[in-house]
Amino acid sequence: MQPPSGRVRQRPSPRWRSQPRPDPVAVLRTARAIVDDLADGLTGNGARTAARRLRGLLDVQGLALADLSGSLLWSGRPGDDAATETLVEKVLHTETPVGRSPLLAVPLHVNDELAGALVISGTVRRAAVREAATWVVNALEHARLEASADRAEQAELRALQAEISPHFVYNALTVIASLVRSEPDRARELMLDFADYTRYSLARRGAYTTVSDEFHAIETYLALQRAVLGDRLRVQIRVAPEVLGVAVPYLILQPLVENAIRHGIEPHSGSGLVQVSGEAEGSDCVISVEDDGLGMDPAKAKTVLAGKERTDSVGLANVDRRLRHVYGPWYGLVVETAVQAGTRVVVRVPRFQPGVIP
Amino acid sequence: MVALLALAPVMLVTLLIGLRGVAAMRTTSDFLVASRRVSPLLNSAAVSGEYLSAASFLGVAGLVVKDGIGSLWYPVGFTAGYITMLILVAAPMRRSGALTVPDFAEARLASPALRRLSALVVLVIGVLYLVPQFRTAGLVLSAVSATPYWVGVVIAGAVVSATIALGGMRAATYVQAFQFFLKLLLFIIPAVWLVVQVGPDVRHDAVHPVEFTVFEHDTTVSFRVDAILETEEPTPVVAPDGSTTTLGPGQHTIEAGRTLVFAEGAPVPGIRGDAPLGGPDWQRPLLNLEDAGHPLLSTIAVIVAIVLGTMGLPHILMRFHTSPDGRSARRTAAITVALLSVFYLFPGVYGALGRVLLPQLYLSGATDTVIVALPSQVDTGWAGTLMTAMLTVGAFAAFLATSLGLLLVISGAIAHDLVPAGLRKLRFSAVPAAAAIVLLALPSAHLDAGLLVTWGFTVASSTFCPLLVLGIWWSRLTAQGALSGVIAGLLASSGSILVALFGPPLDGWPAILIVQPAPWSVPLAFATMVAVSLHGSPAPWSRTAMLRLHLDEEHVRGSARRPPDAT
Repeated sequence: MQPPSGRVRQRPSPRWRSQPRPDPVAVLRTARAIVDDLADGLTGNGARTAARRLRGLLDVQGLALADLSGSLLWSGRPGDDAATETLVEKVLHTETPVGRSPLLAVPLHVNDELAGALVISGTVRRAAVREAATWVVNALEHARLEASADRAEQAELRALQAEISPHFVYNALTVIASLVRSEPDRARELMLDFADYTRYSLARRGAYTTVSDEFHAIETYLALQRAVLGDRLRVQIRVAPEVLGVAVPYLILQPLVENAIRHGIEPHSGSGLVQVSGEAEGSDCVISVEDDGLGMDPAKAKTVLAGKERTDSVGLANVDRRLRHVYGPWYGLVVETAVQAGTRVVVRVPRFQPGVIP
Repeated sequence: MVALLALAPVMLVTLLIGLRGVAAMRTTSDFLVASRRVSPLLNSAAVSGEYLSAASFLGVAGLVVKDGIGSLWYPVGFTAGYITMLILVAAPMRRSGALTVPDFAEARLASPALRRLSALVVLVIGVLYLVPQFRTAGLVLSAVSATPYWVGVVIAGAVVSATIALGGMRAATYVQAFQFFLKLLLFIIPAVWLVVQVGPDVRHDAVHPVEFTVFEHDTTVSFRVDAILETEEPTPVVAPDGSTTTLGPGQHTIEAGRTLVFAEGAPVPGIRGDAPLGGPDWQRPLLNLEDAGHPLLSTIAVIVAIVLGTMGLPHILMRFHTSPDGRSARRTAAITVALLSVFYLFPGVYGALGRVLLPQLYLSGATDTVIVALPSQVDTGWAGTLMTAMLTVGAFAAFLATSLGLLLVISGAIAHDLVPAGLRKLRFSAVPAAAAIVLLALPSAHLDAGLLVTWGFTVASSTFCPLLVLGIWWSRLTAQGALSGVIAGLLASSGSILVALFGPPLDGWPAILIVQPAPWSVPLAFATMVAVSLHGSPAPWSRTAMLRLHLDEEHVRGSARRPPDAT
């Protein structure tokens, strides 16, 4: 240790005399980079780079990150092998800081749970070690949160995909049962439609499908609904051939059509018209589902879309979230509605989006 | 005037389509069957409908009158381009799911820089392709309504802008397919009528060309562009005010806008830079660019540019996205070759008849109007007027179809790739784009539609052709390599086009290689891409990306079919 210079109030480290104050932007940049590097945890690809950056920041001879198994990722000149090994073992065992400068190790507790250790070889202040360890811990906690958010999102997407309304399943099966004796051929057709529909809805082939298959799915769905509702349901489908091959997330149309039937036709006794159209508009594909039913207050539509209202139109909020997740915030659902004026829901997706492949 | 009135329905229908957005109307019952497939025939008719531009409709026949039989290589190239497309690009491009070349660049090489560069190239190709469309529309409008050229161009631009502003940007396959058959009929019926109507003498003359040396009757020539006449003996001409002057032997510069009457029996002056009409040079079945000699080199240069450039035309590539899978995309390309072949039988007919009946167009520089001017030469009654109207409508329909498609692609490239902006800007970037094209078209009256369009093909063949071909067929291509190759091709091709436009006049084979740089710019782009790619290493996922382009969709997605009926 060099003698203190007394130039600054804080006890200075040796490098402060020979060098000017480090550029704060550079320090912040390095700190941010460390967070990015540790996105995959202590065993991830970026851990070694993180160790290197951290060593540069602390200006020590060697710095290592150890995971729970005790294996070390060294940057710079490693300390004495045998001594380090016992040190790490001790740290992971006691979960308290061990050793003194020039070779010391501190445990890393992520969410109050031991995740690894930081080993430093070289002269360094204790406060610096403490801050560095805290920073690494924060980065690891951040990474863990991100990962769990990702997992939650994936789980949610999977859950959304499998959503078939039990109400609908019950109705469809009842109608089919009632037709088995009187119209066996029609019942068989409907049964096959039902099989098609469930197969499609429960498919686990991938996250994306084509507009053509989506239209096929709502077609089978509508065939079943017509069996339930009879002449009350009138349907018009217009689709331009340009958009049939466009890749979209699974089951984005069916919830919209289901919503249109449930809110446009079922509540009142008369008949209703559901119009589904798909067409290309420049490099976008625009699909709209329209009913001539009761409509709703635009303010209510807003809360439904935001997912705040625990109603049975939860499908709309689902579709909206999935679309935004895949295509970005520009591509959410657009709902045009007013009381007694019907409802029109518009889906706009790019005809080509990298990574969205059926 | 009747012809001008006939344009009204075309504009109206186009506007209506724009407002309405034609999609196939279907009820529930036939939906299942109908939605599964757009037949390759329908789709290829749509491709042809979008492809056959005003330059094809009018320009090729004009080039035949001006430059000779060799110009028929242009339609050969325009059609043959779909064969390279069929073999190399159609199916893998469809499987990639990419809509445009920038999309493809991003999907295959994951490089945002390359994406932006590709969008820039789309812009260059689009402008080179659109300027002749506007120019030709302006020429036709001015020819049938006797208004100045600029009025025609501005009207054309206004119609296109209005259609776009009103929402006519939907890519409607059915409309384009209908447009193709409309254009085919509007092109074929007047041709057949003309051939029947002209009588045996003209038919004989048409297939046995003789050099146009002497005016057979008093002929009025309205010079549309500046021309340098070369006379070998004194030629008396009458100006519109009645005064007679004699052009002595030598060169005479005639400014655009002048009208001269050549008396019967007067010798026909030559035009500097063009082969004498009907002479041996005119009859030779090869192109002679810039009058520089080396006809074989000229022909090969043009064919290379067009055949390899077709695959890079942004508005055409988009059409293949409508095919349900790679196989039907390939079929679409194959049928397109057949459909275009039928259409391109007829420019030759118009060209041959035009040489006999309207040789003075060769002097006036308005050869692109030969098709619409022909019927009135044969019949001044209602039949001739009707045929003129049909051809004008056809030409304008061709202009609208191509221009709308291209403007859509250009504004898409600007809105999505070049300007970082949100959605909904598409429509508003299309109108200024149309305005810019109009401004560029105004001073371009003297440039042949065929030449300008071919430049569009040249840029495409020097940039997108290597990018697509290597991107699809070579797994070692790197983003760096693709970038440098596209830059090299773009600089080489557009640079030499600029030299050809504004540079000093050249002679011999350098002149050909400057006015048509494809023979060297295409290999240059390929070589740069390969060399730079070999220097780096491809991304680890490049083989996966390649597999996706070449595997049959059925294998990738598995089939989802109903079990057969067990009765």
